[in-house]
Amino acid sequence: MLASATISIDRASKRFALAGSSEGVLALSELSLEIAPGEFVAILGPSGCGKSTLLRLVASLDQPSGGSVSIGGAAPGLVSGRHALGVAFQDHALLPWLSIHDNIALPFRIAGRRVDEAAIARLIELVGLARFATARPRQLSGGMRQRASIARALVLDPEVLLLDEPFGALDAVTRRQMNVELQRIWSERQITTMLITHSVDEALFLADRVVVMSGRPGRIVREVTVPFARPRAPAVMRSEAFHHLVDDLTAALEMPDPDSSPSAG
Amino acid sequence: MSAGRWNVLLGALGIALFLVLWEVIGRLGLGGISWPPLSAVLEMLADDSKWALFQRALAATLQETALGYIWGTAAGLGLATVAHLVPPLRRGSDRLAAVLNSVPSIALGPIFLVLLSRDSTPAAVSSIHVFFIVFVSVSSGLQRATPAHRDLFAVLGADRLKRFRRLELPAALPALASGLRLAWPAALIGAIIGEWFGASRGIGILIINAMQNFQIVLLWCAVLLAVGASLLFYGLLTLLERGAYARFG
Amino acid sequence: MERASGRPLLLRLVEDYWGILLLLLGWQLWVVLNRFNPIVMPTPVAVLGDLVAYPMVYVQSVGITLAVAVFGLIAGMAVGTGLAVAAWFSAVASGLLNPLTILFSSVPVVALIPVIARLLGYDTSTVLAIVVIITFFPSFVFASSGLRSPPPGSEDLFRVLGASRLSVLWRLALPAAMPNLAIAFKLAAAHAILAAMVAEFLMGTSGLGYLFAKTKSDFQTEQAFGASAVATVISATAFLLAGWVEKRVRERYG
Repeated sequence: MLASATISIDRASKRFALAGSSEGVLALSELSLEIAPGEFVAILGPSGCGKSTLLRLVASLDQPSGGSVSIGGAAPGLVSGRHALGVAFQDHALLPWLSIHDNIALPFRIAGRRVDEAAIARLIELVGLARFATARPRQLSGGMRQRASIARALVLDPEVLLLDEPFGALDAVTRRQMNVELQRIWSERQITTMLITHSVDEALFLADRVVVMSGRPGRIVREVTVPFARPRAPAVMRSEAFHHLVDDLTAALEMPDPDSSPSAG
Repeated sequence: MSAGRWNVLLGALGIALFLVLWEVIGRLGLGGISWPPLSAVLEMLADDSKWALFQRALAATLQETALGYIWGTAAGLGLATVAHLVPPLRRGSDRLAAVLNSVPSIALGPIFLVLLSRDSTPAAVSSIHVFFIVFVSVSSGLQRATPAHRDLFAVLGADRLKRFRRLELPAALPALASGLRLAWPAALIGAIIGEWFGASRGIGILIINAMQNFQIVLLWCAVLLAVGASLLFYGLLTLLERGAYARFG
Repeated sequence: MERASGRPLLLRLVEDYWGILLLLLGWQLWVVLNRFNPIVMPTPVAVLGDLVAYPMVYVQSVGITLAVAVFGLIAGMAVGTGLAVAAWFSAVASGLLNPLTILFSSVPVVALIPVIARLLGYDTSTVLAIVVIITFFPSFVFASSGLRSPPPGSEDLFRVLGASRLSVLWRLALPAAMPNLAIAFKLAAAHAILAAMVAEFLMGTSGLGYLFAKTKSDFQTEQAFGASAVATVISATAFLLAGWVEKRVRERYG
């Protein structure tokens, strides 16, 4: 098993060209964030605050206009080139012509490595899809497809795990269930993880640290270290301490003028 | 430069390169006498004395195609409506339409010659192809209304015909517009082939005569006319389709 | 396409073919009532009679036309798809070729046949070339658009997974293009046979189109209609087969 890596974002900025505007739109403004190996960080923010842009920078899908992004000291492009990145999008992006098993095996084939059937079997079991290994994505529900997508993200033992609103398209009940599942799955390997979400509950339940981003241009306005011990039972979401933090973070999200001094818990 | 503009530029460049290639091959005689330079063809097209001939031929063929559209659309719409309102007739109608469309156009020529008249034959051949494409498009378009819509109409107490008139037919109009656009190339070809069986004028006649009399440049002119008519009306029908989707989509 | 099992065969046949039967019946009646000379218009019965009496004439012609149509179809699709794949690697090549090929695919093919015949000569290889040309354009256009319609998010996924360009082509773009290729195949299958016939008719080479032209001018009208009937059956069957293939491809490749 490869060791997890550090995600280092150092004063990263991203500017997009906009037709009719000479300076374009600044999506991220000098954002700095460090995610330690094995740490689970959730990034909260309103729509359009640039959190998906941030993930794309880490995922090597985009280049920063200023500053730098590195994974374990290396550029994201190099890390993806050696097939060490795991990602699950809101769009599960499962290939409709492959079975669930073959979809999860896809990263092996792309990396040119021998398909490790034992690893796949373990992961399918872990995400609870053992009975559906030969089914096609269209035969599965939304929640099941996301589970397959997460299994695929883990199959090559990546150095980091990037999750971009993976449960965004699911209903509230399924989402709760998936959060519990993800915690269980993640505990097995405790990979460095960056989760983008707009659900405060989800962020607090899953993460070691929650970072709140402001609206465009995106910058960090609050960081909260989550005090709850692992493993976290669903009951923790009903505790008073949890509700307090939810209120605190919701207020930080709704603030129009960002308070730029970070405060802990 | 934005991606969109770049693509348009490349596209125009591609077409320009093709035209230049045409001219060069013609000039150098690489295609023998059968490939005249583009400039020679354009010259003849622009020739005043020939223009009346081209105009008559183009007008005749377009008229036949228009008539073919009217007949074909009426027939296709009619049969699709009947098959939709009387479900047991569906499978038989599908098969009938498919068979009619599979009859080679050159075989339709002599049949319509006997059935109708010399001058109606091109329109009739054209109408068969329009009929089939409109039939398929409207058949699928009539089924576009979702169960939710149908439930609504049931609750509002609409009878079968009201539901057809106010829900299914309007829902099918975009598909009809698509069908009209898709039918154009086949309709034009049908008219041209139909002309070979006894019409007095038209692009098809022009092509055959030029072919048999070895008038190469005239042949290419006729081909270019057909292509021009094809593209122009295809463009117009595309606009019509967009409008239909905007209004009824 | 469900079959209600347990219903009598005769009822099912009538349900499926009433339109065609009506057509044939109408044809028969129309000829009989008008007392047409068989040279002008034969009855369906007479045409059937000719088919049964002289099968070898038809078989020979069918063989040629079918062979040309099938080879032309395969070759045209292969070249069209191959070129689309080549263009996929280069955005510049795609930009140059796409509008040009879309333009060409809406050109009325019959207008081009005389020109192509003059250029390449009046024989069967030209008919083959014509079928290839007719099949090439829709294949290229549909393959090009299909290669560029992978499932949402899958292109990003492949980027993050560090896939090589070839891997993206083989594992993503080509499978994603399959449904479009199936549509192109359906369109091309129907056109290939009819185009071959028109070409043979115009050029007087061999095959069903030529048979039709020759027997018509020799006033052997029953045989001319027989040739048409055979072509109709083949064409309709090809269309049905292609539709079946399209359905299977759509199921497999989503």
